[in-house]
Amino acid sequence: MREPFTKKKQNLDLDIEIAEDEKKGKVMFDFILPISVFLLSGFGLLVIYSSTKFSMPGGVTDPMYYLKRQSYGLIAAVVVFVVIQFFNYKFIQKLWWIFFLGNIAILGAVLIFGYEVHGSKSWIDLRLFPAQPSELAKVLMVISVAALLSKWPREKENKVGFKKVAFSLLAAVVSMLLVLLQPDYGTALIFFTTYLGMLFISGANFFYFIGILAATAGGFFAAIKIGLIKQYQLDRILVFLKPDIQKEGIGYNLFQSKLAIGSGGLWGKGLFLGKQTNLSYVPEHQTDFIFSVIGEEIGFFGAVFIILVLALIIWRCFYIASKARSDFGSLIASGIGFIILTQVVINIGMTIGIMPIIGIPLPFLSYGNSSLLSIFVGIGLVENIYLRRDLRKSHEIAYQEFD
Amino acid sequence: MLALIAGLIIRLYFLQVISGSVYAQEASQSILRTQLIPAPRGNIFDRNGKLLVKSIPSPAVAVDPRIVAANKEVLETLSEKLNIPYDEIVRKVNRSNISYLERVILKQNIDYETMIYLKENSNSLPGVEIVDIFYRDYEYDSLASHVLGYIGEIDEEKLKTEKYSVGYEGGDQIGLTGIEEVYEEILKGTKGRVTYEVDPLGKPISIVEEVPYVAGNDIYLTIDIDLQKVVEELLANSIIALREKKVKDSEEYFKVPGGAIVVLSAKTGEILAMASYPTYDPSVFTGGISVSDWDHLNDPKNDFPLNNRAVMSFASGSVFKIITAYGGLSEDVISENSVFNCSGVWYGLGRDFPKYCASKSGHGSLNVMNAIKYSCDIFFYNVGYGLFVKNNNTDELLQKYAEMFGFGSKTGVDLPYEDSGLIPDTKWKKEFFKDQKDNSIWFPGDTVNMAIGQGDVLVTPLQMAQAYSIIVNRGLKYMPHFIKEVKDTEGNIFLDSGNISYEDLNLNKDYLELIEKGLGLVTSEGTAAYTFMGFPLKDIPVAGKTGTAEVAGKQDYGWFATYAPIGNPEYVIVGMLEQAGYGSNSVAPIAEKIYEYLFNINSK
Repeated sequence: MREPFTKKKQNLDLDIEIAEDEKKGKVMFDFILPISVFLLSGFGLLVIYSSTKFSMPGGVTDPMYYLKRQSYGLIAAVVVFVVIQFFNYKFIQKLWWIFFLGNIAILGAVLIFGYEVHGSKSWIDLRLFPAQPSELAKVLMVISVAALLSKWPREKENKVGFKKVAFSLLAAVVSMLLVLLQPDYGTALIFFTTYLGMLFISGANFFYFIGILAATAGGFFAAIKIGLIKQYQLDRILVFLKPDIQKEGIGYNLFQSKLAIGSGGLWGKGLFLGKQTNLSYVPEHQTDFIFSVIGEEIGFFGAVFIILVLALIIWRCFYIASKARSDFGSLIASGIGFIILTQVVINIGMTIGIMPIIGIPLPFLSYGNSSLLSIFVGIGLVENIYLRRDLRKSHEIAYQEFD
Repeated sequence: MLALIAGLIIRLYFLQVISGSVYAQEASQSILRTQLIPAPRGNIFDRNGKLLVKSIPSPAVAVDPRIVAANKEVLETLSEKLNIPYDEIVRKVNRSNISYLERVILKQNIDYETMIYLKENSNSLPGVEIVDIFYRDYEYDSLASHVLGYIGEIDEEKLKTEKYSVGYEGGDQIGLTGIEEVYEEILKGTKGRVTYEVDPLGKPISIVEEVPYVAGNDIYLTIDIDLQKVVEELLANSIIALREKKVKDSEEYFKVPGGAIVVLSAKTGEILAMASYPTYDPSVFTGGISVSDWDHLNDPKNDFPLNNRAVMSFASGSVFKIITAYGGLSEDVISENSVFNCSGVWYGLGRDFPKYCASKSGHGSLNVMNAIKYSCDIFFYNVGYGLFVKNNNTDELLQKYAEMFGFGSKTGVDLPYEDSGLIPDTKWKKEFFKDQKDNSIWFPGDTVNMAIGQGDVLVTPLQMAQAYSIIVNRGLKYMPHFIKEVKDTEGNIFLDSGNISYEDLNLNKDYLELIEKGLGLVTSEGTAAYTFMGFPLKDIPVAGKTGTAEVAGKQDYGWFATYAPIGNPEYVIVGMLEQAGYGSNSVAPIAEKIYEYLFNINSK
């Protein structure tokens, strides 16, 4: 008998909170996050131009082809970032299921209507431009999981129990399986690490954490045992551990990438002056291997600077997570942080030979509008969370007093 | 998170700062492109310095497999412009042994339009180059093609062999047969090399190192191309004429699928002419032979024009009898004056095994000289049987003399794919017929058959020419050869076959002279007398021996072996025509006409 009332009240509470937030409207913008991501993306444009000015797709004679396309993407990303600031992020918590179903819909659509590039059915033609739904799926998954792990309507206080872990895990696993079907192992791995990171942040019992890890490891070995994962796939993943098969076949990319980065030395060869990467010795040099271009052209100091800027962005995400008003906001911000962290470590790691070669882009820098727009949606949300951070305290105080 | 970021930075430090210089050095190498400049192959001349084969540069399309392999559009364009099936281009580009810096020649001798197109569109065709490669130009078309051989692109299997392990790479042209193959090492020259630094488009900016090529050495052959022309024309015309004739007492025409003529310089072993029919045009191999041409050359209907019949083995027939004669004389089976009676049939192997002479009516009593003159089979059956009787377990006498005269082993001529022929003996028969117990024993009849060049005896026309030159030189055995001189581009002579080595077989000169007398009678009064009726034998006495080999299931093979002039021989000629009937009618006239040319006789 009380149930409908409670539900209504909870929803009402949320609506009231949102309304109050807007009224209090004490807005403090975070400048560190947007400035660093826009500067980094701007620098990315230069690197993309440098790495593609001699290698256009067939039939294209414009050396700025990639540069232009990425610039349009960045302009759109800025718009998206700004628009997101006008909503209160909390508004979307209620609508988490839309994001969850949307996620399944776009990942399902790519399996049905998509086309293959490099053996993975990851692309879909949107008439206007080709898109990679799995990029947006990362952000959508973070939203669904964050909603499921944060305070549920009936709860007074947030407690991450079995139910929450189970539901959020289900949401993550469904997305993961859908990208594995493409197959896109890189994105699946990002889903996995991001989910684990969010679970960790949510304060769930550590045993869930251990349990999921153990189950995954067991499943992985079982997949090898029954031949679901083939030896050559393993070889491909483990190529970075075998320096003796460097120069040929699957080690060729890695060898050329290391050669390019290594030859950059302390100061680099200068922007636009990289020879290895420009000569197309390094494959995929504008997308997955863009860090090879950075390493070659701006050298050790430049590369470290870029890594530090990326670290700053990641740190800012976690910082905002810690300041967030709600668990929901905190989980979203940290989820975005984990996405960026995982991608940065794996992507840069693979170009310098300490991570397996799996095709995932370097956030803000790799060519690709799907990746760029999606990550800006994420960053926009994080900024939104920061914008509304102070409101938390007043509300909380008010709420506690009221309670 | 800090640990992960720190890990990346530490790794970068090792990669860029600590081992940066190593990578920088390796990277600087990988932006240098080395282009190998093919060297022109040496030219081939005849003994009089007439140019037979020369190298001509021609534009070819080369691709860098590393760049084009992944570029479907470039491959498709090339497929269309070069008229090569797409799959074949992909196969060529993806060949396993191509290293990253190598080029693959896709097509040679492209036409001007294609060249202009590829050059003008070089921006949209990365990794595609036009290079000069050398192909062969044959001044005398198909003349001496079996001797000269042809060149073609080296294949993967050859690249793996030791012979081609140094200095060769995919796309190279190598000699595939004939002189081109045997003297590959002399003819090929040394490639030049240009190392460029390239800009990011792959276009050369500056030359870092340049090593000029060294052209291959020129070869002077013992061949006289004018004589070769005469011989080839005579051979071809005779064969075509013979095909119009019917086999005696039959409605069947002579098939004459092929034949061969060898002309040796009698006292040196130099090969003055070597003809094989049918022949082929080596220029079809230029720029890669087309499938239809290749099929044509290998279709059994065309009698295998690529085969050089002068070094292939055939049943020999009576031209072999000189060996039996010499063996009989040496082993005291016969003497100069031994006489056998020929009644047309011989029962030496018993009443149940009659053996017939080619002359049904018989030759009457004759000595060895007349036996050669008339090519009496029964005389030589007796000699063969006598030699068989004298055989002891370790030594088969007729075989010994056959091998002494060079049969059963290669002459060592500077041509590839020479047959060694076959001199059958007890051991061979046992091995060959090991599945037929009754047949695996050496019978007296085997030696008897062999005595007239029948049975399982197989010889090459060149071996036969060498055997007759041993008679000419009274026991000195010269190796038949084609090479006369090798000169480099500055004219320095490397190899001069002025002092020719020989092997002295220590033969009995009296016996050889006796045999020569018999051979002389062949042309004046014997089996070839009709052919040499109009020939000035008084001035130029000719030694000769006709032969007609019976081959099971085929028409007779005609042979004629000859040298002239007796007393001071200059030439040895051996001819063989497959399925052409009596050697006296088919081959001897060709030899007679060659003599007319050689001795400058105006035929009536």
